[in-house]
Amino acid sequence: MKRYLLILLTGLIIFGSVFFASAQEIELNFLGWSYGVETVRDNIAKFEAKYPNIKVNFTDVSWFDYHDIAVARFLGNTSTDVMYGSDHWLQEWAAAGWLVPLEDYFTKFVEYKKESAPYAIEGMTYNNKLYGLPYYADMVVFLYNKEMIKKAGFENPPKNLSELIEQAKVMKEKGICEYPLALCIGKQEGQSIEIFTSIVYSFKNGNMFDEKLNPLFQKDSGVYEALKFLYDAKNTYKILDPASLIWGEIDLVKSFGAGNHAFTFINKYNLAELNNPGVSKLAGQFSIALFPGETRSCVGFVRFYCMTKMGVNRGKDVVDAIGKFINYFGGKVDGQYNVVRRWSLEKGLGFAQLPLYNDPEVISAINQWGNVEVEEEQAKFARAKQGMTPFYGTWDIFMREQINKALLKDVSIEDALSASTKYWNELKKKYGM
Amino acid sequence: MKDIFLSLEVLFRPRGIRRRDVSLVIMKKKIGNMTGYIMILPVVAIISVFTIYPLFYAIKTSLYEILLARPFLRPYVGYGNYLEVIKSYYFFKSLLNSLVYAAMCVFMVTVVGLGVSLLLNCRYKITNVLRIIIVVPWAIPFVVSGVMWKWIFNSSYGAFNGLLYSLGITDAYVSWLGHPLYAKICLAIAHAWKEIPFAAILFLAVLQTIPRELYDAVRVDGGTSWMAFKYVTLPLIKPVLLVVVIWETVIGFTMFDLVYVMTGGGPGDSTSLISWYTYAETFKFLNLGKGAALSILLALIVLAMIIIYLKVIRVEQVY
Repeated sequence: MKRYLLILLTGLIIFGSVFFASAQEIELNFLGWSYGVETVRDNIAKFEAKYPNIKVNFTDVSWFDYHDIAVARFLGNTSTDVMYGSDHWLQEWAAAGWLVPLEDYFTKFVEYKKESAPYAIEGMTYNNKLYGLPYYADMVVFLYNKEMIKKAGFENPPKNLSELIEQAKVMKEKGICEYPLALCIGKQEGQSIEIFTSIVYSFKNGNMFDEKLNPLFQKDSGVYEALKFLYDAKNTYKILDPASLIWGEIDLVKSFGAGNHAFTFINKYNLAELNNPGVSKLAGQFSIALFPGETRSCVGFVRFYCMTKMGVNRGKDVVDAIGKFINYFGGKVDGQYNVVRRWSLEKGLGFAQLPLYNDPEVISAINQWGNVEVEEEQAKFARAKQGMTPFYGTWDIFMREQINKALLKDVSIEDALSASTKYWNELKKKYGM
Repeated sequence: MKDIFLSLEVLFRPRGIRRRDVSLVIMKKKIGNMTGYIMILPVVAIISVFTIYPLFYAIKTSLYEILLARPFLRPYVGYGNYLEVIKSYYFFKSLLNSLVYAAMCVFMVTVVGLGVSLLLNCRYKITNVLRIIIVVPWAIPFVVSGVMWKWIFNSSYGAFNGLLYSLGITDAYVSWLGHPLYAKICLAIAHAWKEIPFAAILFLAVLQTIPRELYDAVRVDGGTSWMAFKYVTLPLIKPVLLVVVIWETVIGFTMFDLVYVMTGGGPGDSTSLISWYTYAETFKFLNLGKGAALSILLALIVLAMIIIYLKVIRVEQVY
């Protein structure tokens, strides 16, 4: 009899604990784009080991489709609790009520501002409230192929855009490469506008908008000069690869890494892959230099972890779990920015957390494929994107098309910029700004 | 009317049939009449939920200015969205792009499809195997074939460039998808590759119904192969030819998948078809009202095409 009672009791304890554990388990739905998916999954596994009652369902989609899929998920109420965000979509998504301010729920996150780069904080802030913690922060930098420059008879990379054109022309004449300059400014590539804005910033009068959010697209503006530079590069000097107009980042990295081009403007972290002997046959040939131009400025941007309204609607326990998740991935755990540091060491992703610049291991890792000094110098010139409004994302799509059309000679530079100004002003009016 | 017949039936019923039997017959008939309605009820319900309701909802949406990034203000604008769409910078350009694209697709699919079916109609040992192989592209979804063709036309490592370069036709790799005209042609090729099997199978089916005696008669009269095609094959396959032409026009006109995967509507707006803008207005520009208005306009254009299709087919049946 005693034995039966013991078995019954044990059974009840096991059942009770399993039932209790399963009742306590919280599932988080995490949406991200497909980059370093294995690393993301490994980070999730470590997070789940630290917090056994939280299970994370990770969905990754193409970067190209990320905005549209995220919007479709918001509209269709497809369960999404935590996700990657970007500075150029934050205003749109926050204004629509799809994202919520982190500082309203996790007050301690505000303290991270002290240790973060200002452009990154600006990119994660809407209506003076912090909406995210950084996944990574990076810059659009100038990369060049050292061997090609040597072959062309130059000792240093170009310091401004005129020098870039001159060097490219020599390379073309000598048959070193057909198109020395290549970019990823396809209509579908979200970085297009960041690359274009970087070129704008490189001019002395390089501003996209004034303080009252009026477009500065007139004939003597930096925007006009930037578009004129691209137009000349493609049509007058034929140094810009025409495929740039349909390329995304991956296409460009493959072509640049194969030694088809000498110069590009691209997100800095790609240098790690280009100089990785396991990935690229020409590893070691690629280098970073200050952005060519009068100001040496470029765009600094941030991608971050953010919390959705859907997540909040699921209740306090889920919100707490999201807080733990965001802090683990974008903040400090045991006094260290572990995940951000890992991304930097393994993939070369940039970071907004300034203390990491003092980390000897991080410095040594960056120097293996890049140059910390140049990177730090460039960071001083990095500027956040201007015109961040709820309709920036909408205007961005239109602007990309206008840039494409001007480069294809479908419309003149003046007409492309005039149409973009008109569209911006229409949106501004519609949104009551 | 039915009740009158039933009364007559009762009046002239044969002797020996009881009143209860008559009531049973009436009840059965009534149930019989209801059965039809009951049978179609699930279908009507499904169509109402998944087609009629969304259609009316889309019409309603198209009458409001709904900007998703400005969710708390949704003014009624009547046909304002339709006017904005028609006056927009892209409407007529994308309409033209769609028509050009559809025309290229129809031409390629019809001509090559017919050629393939004529080959498959010949009595060779290999034709049975070829008839199976030819169906393979048709079984591949547009999205998958789009990704495949995007690789083939890649300007740095695409197979098409490799082929032309190794044959000495080009002296450098060409950015096929980066050129406005080439990009359109590349899209049409990808479309044709996927759709040719469908056309070929339809043509083959009708070719096999043509009696051999007709061709023998042409030969006896001293006619050439071209004359046999012109006076025998072509008139007899004409109804199917029309089906293929009009079907491909509608498919080409509403194409979205290939554009999205291969070019994203670029370079510039050279491959931006009207269906692409319908998507872009909703999910990229986040303007639900204009997106709905554009989709209603697109549906009306396609409806007009279908009406023409039905009329043409009717004429052909009389012929």
